Amino acid sequence: MSKAQAVPVSPLKQFWLKWRFHINILLILIPLGFMPKYFADAAMFRGDSGLGANQVSDIQVGPYTLDLAELRDEAPRADGPAGHFKLFNAALCKACTTEVKAVYLRIGKPRSLRAAGTIFFGAPYRMITSLPVPPRTRSDAQVWITIEGWDGSMHQASVPLAQASPATVAWLEKQGGTK
Amino acid sequence: MAQSTKKSKSKLWFLVHSWLALPIWFFVLIVCFTGMLAVVSQEIVWLANSDVRASKPSDGAERLSFQQIIDALHKAEPDMAVRMLVQPEGSHFALAASVTNPDGTTPTLYVNPYTGVIQGKAPDFNFEAFTRALHGWWLVPFTNGYSWGWYLVSLLGLPMLASLVTGLVVYKKFWRGFFKPVRSGHGSRIFWGDVHRLAGVWSIWFITVISITGIWFLIQAILGDNHITISSEPIVPVIAREDVPLTADGSPAPRIDLDAAARIATEAIPGLEITFISLPSTAYSHVEMGGRGWYPLMFQTASVNPYTSNVDSKFLLEDRSALEFVTESMRPLHTGDFGGLAIKLIWFFFGLVLTLMVLSGLLIWTKRTAQATAAALKRTDRVARAQPARSETSVEAQP
Repeated sequence: MSKAQAVPVSPLKQFWLKWRFHINILLILIPLGFMPKYFADAAMFRGDSGLGANQVSDIQVGPYTLDLAELRDEAPRADGPAGHFKLFNAALCKACTTEVKAVYLRIGKPRSLRAAGTIFFGAPYRMITSLPVPPRTRSDAQVWITIEGWDGSMHQASVPLAQASPATVAWLEKQGGTK
Repeated sequence: MAQSTKKSKSKLWFLVHSWLALPIWFFVLIVCFTGMLAVVSQEIVWLANSDVRASKPSDGAERLSFQQIIDALHKAEPDMAVRMLVQPEGSHFALAASVTNPDGTTPTLYVNPYTGVIQGKAPDFNFEAFTRALHGWWLVPFTNGYSWGWYLVSLLGLPMLASLVTGLVVYKKFWRGFFKPVRSGHGSRIFWGDVHRLAGVWSIWFITVISITGIWFLIQAILGDNHITISSEPIVPVIAREDVPLTADGSPAPRIDLDAAARIATEAIPGLEITFISLPSTAYSHVEMGGRGWYPLMFQTASVNPYTSNVDSKFLLEDRSALEFVTESMRPLHTGDFGGLAIKLIWFFFGLVLTLMVLSGLLIWTKRTAQATAAALKRTDRVARAQPARSETSVEAQP
């Protein structure tokens, strides 16, 4: 201490000289800050926090029912030249899992089964699909669900995009505003 | 004169060497430390959690086939859907089954490979994934392409490689340093200096591997974020609609079982080892399977059509381009997970040494600087007392 008093350097400068190489310890705040998000995401991917955001439950599609939810309550994500995509989860009614061959999702009504949209992947209790969202989609568009049975039957239903993903509609309106 | 330029040059190199890690020493230290942990994270979990171990019920017990495991799982949990089975490297590990429960949860189950018994569920805190995420991208989420944490960490490959080069320039005749004993009786500055140099020369190969593969992770992110791909892996087309039979009663079309699929693939592709197998993820998807080839750093995969029993697609070692042999080897070279426990332990040990390199580097600098500071303080002290004698110039002259 007595030594320090003898030095005619400002205390601020001394503090800086002493601690300048330890400031980087503050970088640890980055993982600490992201930790809650990390664990929340891990729980989401394990399915522990439900099907997703803005869940639309018990959508009647022909003889079957289905729950639909967006994975995250957020605008579509860009994937380079491929365009923008939204991840949606779906869960089939427990009783109908054996009869359903495939479930598809599309913005706008599909003209045929061959153009039913993107197929849902995974176990019927929790399936996922990546839905392309063209930036010119109208904000009053409908999301169409097509269910294909193993016997070749086809059933359809739709929900408003504004209900299935409000963030996507907000994003579309913003796109329309800039164009 | 020549002598003094040489000396000042080496001083400059020394300065460069210290500045490469010094301002971010703690960050580098944590990245090295978590990397070291990540290498053996699977083994740490194995030690801590008995569910992960593949205990033999009796000496003569045989491992069950993939389909036998599926059957056992269905018997235990009739409503549960199994998506994938993975045999981690090393027969002492239990099988990992990715499943989906009727309530929509998707846990990983540890399954005994001899009995098919579900030994437990992967805990919510996944130590392996956590250490890898902390080491690999500082937990910064991936929202649009690669996370900026990934860039932050992988950028360290550059100063690390530069540290190696400048370190070897500064360390005169480093090739004679492999068996130099560490001097312990001359103060901590000498001790840590000796440790730093000895650890350094033995780690030349390891620092080269880790820094170059680290730089590759940076390049990989840059390529990925610019949507540039160098992969020659075929995109497996979905199974054609006409190949999937319709059933009159609306029940699922019959598909071959996992053992049949695995047999078909191994018969068609000599040398295909199957350590993971996934069930079709849609009605138009294949049974996907794969494992390491004769070159242990890369995987071979095959897709079997469950309706026609054809191998519709494969991606083998010989399908890779020369460039892919290099780029695909980067990740296993970084993680050390390509040759069983022995290689992992070597990677762990040198990871520890590397962590110590950062620490000893910092200590050397602190000691050196502490001494220099003390000397400077003494001089200023003298100057202060010798006032008003004009001594500014003499103070600047170093002994």
